[in-house]
Amino acid sequence: MIPFEYRTPKSLKETHQALKEFGADAKLIAGGTALIIMMKQRLVRPTCLINLQALRPLQGIEAKNGALRIGSLATHREVESSALVKRVLPLLAETYHHVATVSVRNMATVGGGLAHADPNQDPPPTLIALGASVKVSSANGSRTLPLEGFFTDYYETVLQPDEVITDLFVPRMQPNSAGAYLKFLPRTADDYATVSVAAVVTLEPGKKVFKDVRIALGSVGTIPIRAKEAEAVLRGQPVKPEGLREAGEKAKGEVDPITDLRGSADYKREMAAVFVRRALEKALETLRKQPKRPAPRPLRSRRKNKK
Amino acid sequence: MKFSQRVTIPAAREPLWNFLMDIPRVARSLPGVEAVKQLDDATYEGTLKVKVGPISLSLQGKIILEERDRENWRATMRADANDRLAAGAVKARTAMQLKELGPKETELAVETDVNILGKIGEFGQPIIRKKADAMLKDFVENIKKQLSST
Amino acid sequence: MKEEQDVKEAVRPQKKIRLKVNGKKYTVEIPTTRLLVDCLRYDVGLTGTKEGCSVGVCGACTVLIDGKMIRSCISLAVAADGREITTVEGLAKNGKLHPVQKSFIQYGGFQCGICTPGMVISAKALLDQNPRPNVDEIKDWMMGNLCRCTGYYKIIESIQNAWRFAKSK
Repeated sequence: MIPFEYRTPKSLKETHQALKEFGADAKLIAGGTALIIMMKQRLVRPTCLINLQALRPLQGIEAKNGALRIGSLATHREVESSALVKRVLPLLAETYHHVATVSVRNMATVGGGLAHADPNQDPPPTLIALGASVKVSSANGSRTLPLEGFFTDYYETVLQPDEVITDLFVPRMQPNSAGAYLKFLPRTADDYATVSVAAVVTLEPGKKVFKDVRIALGSVGTIPIRAKEAEAVLRGQPVKPEGLREAGEKAKGEVDPITDLRGSADYKREMAAVFVRRALEKALETLRKQPKRPAPRPLRSRRKNKK
Repeated sequence: MKFSQRVTIPAAREPLWNFLMDIPRVARSLPGVEAVKQLDDATYEGTLKVKVGPISLSLQGKIILEERDRENWRATMRADANDRLAAGAVKARTAMQLKELGPKETELAVETDVNILGKIGEFGQPIIRKKADAMLKDFVENIKKQLSST
Repeated sequence: MKEEQDVKEAVRPQKKIRLKVNGKKYTVEIPTTRLLVDCLRYDVGLTGTKEGCSVGVCGACTVLIDGKMIRSCISLAVAADGREITTVEGLAKNGKLHPVQKSFIQYGGFQCGICTPGMVISAKALLDQNPRPNVDEIKDWMMGNLCRCTGYYKIIESIQNAWRFAKSK
C-alpha cells in the first residue's frame, strides 16, 4: 500500500474539514472490506484515510416516522440480527444475511456498501424494491435522495467528493404486501450473485389482483436495475402464472449483463427471467401464508441500544 | 479486447484524412488524453487519465503511427502505455478506415484491439470493456464535432 | 498533485496505538499501512493467526475484536486502536485448553493446521452465542473458513461436540 495519513474525526464537521484539506486524494473508510483490498493492489491510492467509526450519530437502527432509520455505520450483521428489522422488514434482514460471510458482515457497513456501488451487491435491489432513500451530508448541509437513481455506473454514485452518507431510510411495506429476495449462486455460498432479484408485491384486499409490484435486479448491469416494464405487465392485473412468466420475459429485455466468471451475458439474461418469476412466486406465497391481523401497530420512536 | 466504432462525418474524405494525420489532434479527441508531444516522424508521447469509480489510472506511453496508406485511405496506430504506480499496462492497436459516402460525407470506421496487463487487467475485464467502449464512442463523436465546424 | 511525488521519498506516517490482546496491553508504533494481521504477528509477536488468501475470503486470519469475528488481513492496525482483540493464543487459560480446542483434538478436526487457528477462533465465537449448534447452524457460521485438507467433516464434528468438554472447565 502507498503510505497515507490517517484521521479519526469525532464529528461530521471535522470529517468535512479533513475532506476539504485533502481533497480528491482522501478516502473515507468505515469497515474497509472493499477499500483495503483495492488499496493492497494499489488500484486506489489515497493520501489520507478518514475513518468514520467514531461518529456516533451515524450508528444505530431505530424506528422513525413510520420507517426504519439505519445509521450508515450500522454493520451488515447488525441489520441482519436486529430484532426491530426482523419484525418490521424481515426481507431486509434476510437480504443482509446473504452478504458474504459472518466476519465480513461484522466489518462491512451499510453506508460503505452503498458508497462502494458494486452492482453485484445484495442489499441494493431489495432497498430499491422497498423504496429506500439515503441522507448525505456535506459541509454545506444535507440532502435526502431516493436510492433508485443513486447508482450511476460501476463503482460510481451521485455522491459528490465531499459528501458522507449518514442515514438509510426504509419505509414499511404497504398492507397486503410481501417480498422476496432470491440470490442465484451457482458457485460458492460466500460469492456475489450471478443474478439476484428482489420483488415486493402488494395485492388488492381480495388477494387476487396486483395493486403494486416492484422488481429490482442485481448483477445484471453496471447498476441495480429496476424492471419497470416487468412491473407494468402485472400492475392492476389478476394474479396468474402466465402473468408471472410474462413479467420474467419482459425483465429479460431490461437487463444488460456482462459476461464474466459468474456466467455469460446470455445465461444471466435467461436466469433473470427465471428468477424474476421465482421471486414473484415466493413473494406471493409469503403473502398467502401471512396470518390475518389488524392494521399494524404504529412504530413508536424508541431509543434502541446501539450495540 | 476488440472494439468497433463507426460514424458518419459531414466532410469530404481528403480533409478528414488530413485531420487524422494530425496525430496530436486526433489523440486529444480521446477523452482523458493530455499533453501529446511529438518525438519523431511517426512517434508521439502522451498521457491518458482514466477514472473508474475510485480507481484512477495515469497511463504514460507512446503512440506510433504504423501504417499511412493514403491510396486506400487507411491508417494504423499502435499505443504502449504504463501506469506509473504499477497498476498495469495497456497495449492497443487501432486501424482507421475512411469510406466515401458522398462529396461531403465520409464514414470513419475505427477498429481497436486492446490488451490490458497487470492488476487493472485482472481486476475487471467487464468494467474495462464498458469504459473503453464508452471512450471510443466519445472519440469518434469528438472527431465528428471537430470536422463539422470546419 | 501528490501522485507526482517520487514514491520512494514519501514519508511513511506512523501512529502509536494501544491494543489489548488476550487480556494483555500492548503499545506499538506502526506505519498507518500496517495490517492488523501483520501487527499481531510481528509487532505483538503472536504468530498463531495466519494469512492465507490476503483478501478476506479464507478465514485463516480471523481474530475476535470485542468478541466479534473479523478478517485481520483486510483490517488496518490503526483502526483497532483501543480495542480488545482475542487471538487463538488467548483461548487456553492458565495452561488449560478451551473446550473447543479439546474437542478439535479429540475429534481430529485438523490435518496440516494452517486453517485451524481461524477455525477454532470462529468456532469459539459461535459457541459463545450458541453452545449446542446443529450442523446447519455450524455450516452457516463457518462458511467463511476454508480448509484444503480435511473435507470439513471432522471440523463440523469437533464443533458439534465441543459442548461435551465445557463441563470439565
